[in-house]
Amino acid sequence: MNSLGALMELPAVRLALVALVLGSVSLPIVGVFVVGLDIMPVRFAMMHVALLGIAIGLLTGLDPLLCALVLCGLTGGALTPMARSDTGLSGAMGLLMTLAIAAALLVLSISGVNANGAFELLWGSILATHPRDVIVLAVLAVLVPVLYRLRRRDLALLLHDRELALCSGVAVERLTLVLLVVVAVAIASAIRLTGALLVDALTLLPALAARRVGRSLPAMIRWSVIFGLAFNLGGFLLALLFDFPPGPTLVVVGGLCTLLLHAIPSSSLLTRKDTH
Amino acid sequence: MSVSLRMLGVTCRHGTVTAVDRVDLDLAAGEHLAVTGTNGSGKSTLLRAILGLHRQTSGLIEVAGVRARGPADWTRRRGEVAWIPQRQAAGRFPLLVRELLASSGHTEQAVDAAEGLGVGGLLDRPLGQLSGGQLQRAYLARALGQVAAGAGMVLADEPTAALDFAGQEQVAAVLAALPVSVVVVTHDRAVVDVCGRVAEMAAGRLRETR
Repeated sequence: MNSLGALMELPAVRLALVALVLGSVSLPIVGVFVVGLDIMPVRFAMMHVALLGIAIGLLTGLDPLLCALVLCGLTGGALTPMARSDTGLSGAMGLLMTLAIAAALLVLSISGVNANGAFELLWGSILATHPRDVIVLAVLAVLVPVLYRLRRRDLALLLHDRELALCSGVAVERLTLVLLVVVAVAIASAIRLTGALLVDALTLLPALAARRVGRSLPAMIRWSVIFGLAFNLGGFLLALLFDFPPGPTLVVVGGLCTLLLHAIPSSSLLTRKDTH
Repeated sequence: MSVSLRMLGVTCRHGTVTAVDRVDLDLAAGEHLAVTGTNGSGKSTLLRAILGLHRQTSGLIEVAGVRARGPADWTRRRGEVAWIPQRQAAGRFPLLVRELLASSGHTEQAVDAAEGLGVGGLLDRPLGQLSGGQLQRAYLARALGQVAAGAGMVLADEPTAALDFAGQEQVAAVLAALPVSVVVVTHDRAVVDVCGRVAEMAAGRLRETR
């Protein structure tokens, strides 16, 4: 077993810890939005869009990760009209995934850039956190809770039912646009931390666990942040202590805890379920 | 009496299917109209068109003399027209009865109405945990809150479908007492009886029978 004190002296570990705490404030809330908008495949879609952004960055000589972040944000906004279609945003994710990966491969092929180099940038690691990632996460840690705080009534209506929100004076189009951009940028940032395949640990798992115990949007938001902090810090400390790879450890801890919550009978949770 | 709702040549399509076919209707302020008809005859689509929720719509629809042309007009109209949908969304994401009532724009009145309709004790319950009848009463209470907040018309789509006989009578009495225009789609005799005008919808056409 490693000595936690000695590990905490390492700058990479400290930076990772800061990133995880900041990420645990905003990303689980984004996860609640993802669940509410019914766009679970968004992480796959954004992974493909991020790859396209990286390819464009490599082709043009611009910062590939910045290109990925910007392209994810723009794509999120461009998806807004699809929310009105019969297939909804869920269908749009499938379309986006296919188009983005095809475009990325095309750009990589045309530019002659090594595709493996582009793909490697997607396998993020919490221990390779860059100060720039921390800045993006810090911005999100302020922006996302403020967005929720200012628009919680509208968000509760929109996430429950789009037509009810429309008939309650909510600016549905504008709010959907903001949500999709925030979700896309947050997912792109989270991909940098844990890698594309493990991004659920930071977003969806806390949200899914929160849904089990929270009966209203405010309750779910609060629980998602609590679970996010517990899963991520617990998983990270475990990984440090036993020298496990951090990404998968975070997911296993979060996944098992979520599974455990779902294994508890609803009747036991119901008496304690939180509404406010 | 001023015209509250005017429809001229209103046609709504679902793809290539014509759900509402050249409907003309004038409803004076304060009038109550019951719309009956078989399933699939276009009744719900007609109501949704008034609120701009059905996109494939042509013809003229004016509420209080105003035709909605842009997003701001539609937002205003949705504030002027209270809406009781047929299939109330109850599950994708939790929403408390209290939050539903607050969305009416006049929480106090909506909560009072909920008390009167027997769902006042359910304010902290998510809509997904209500029975069909409780959900309909909650949406009716919301509509009453909207009227208190200034809505001049109520559109109700089968508001008694999940209620027992006593509930149907109660809701019919509440609708009858509303001082604003009402268009109610219904199969319920109790509701039809309290409306001054009755129209039947068949294959998208609206024909007044009373």
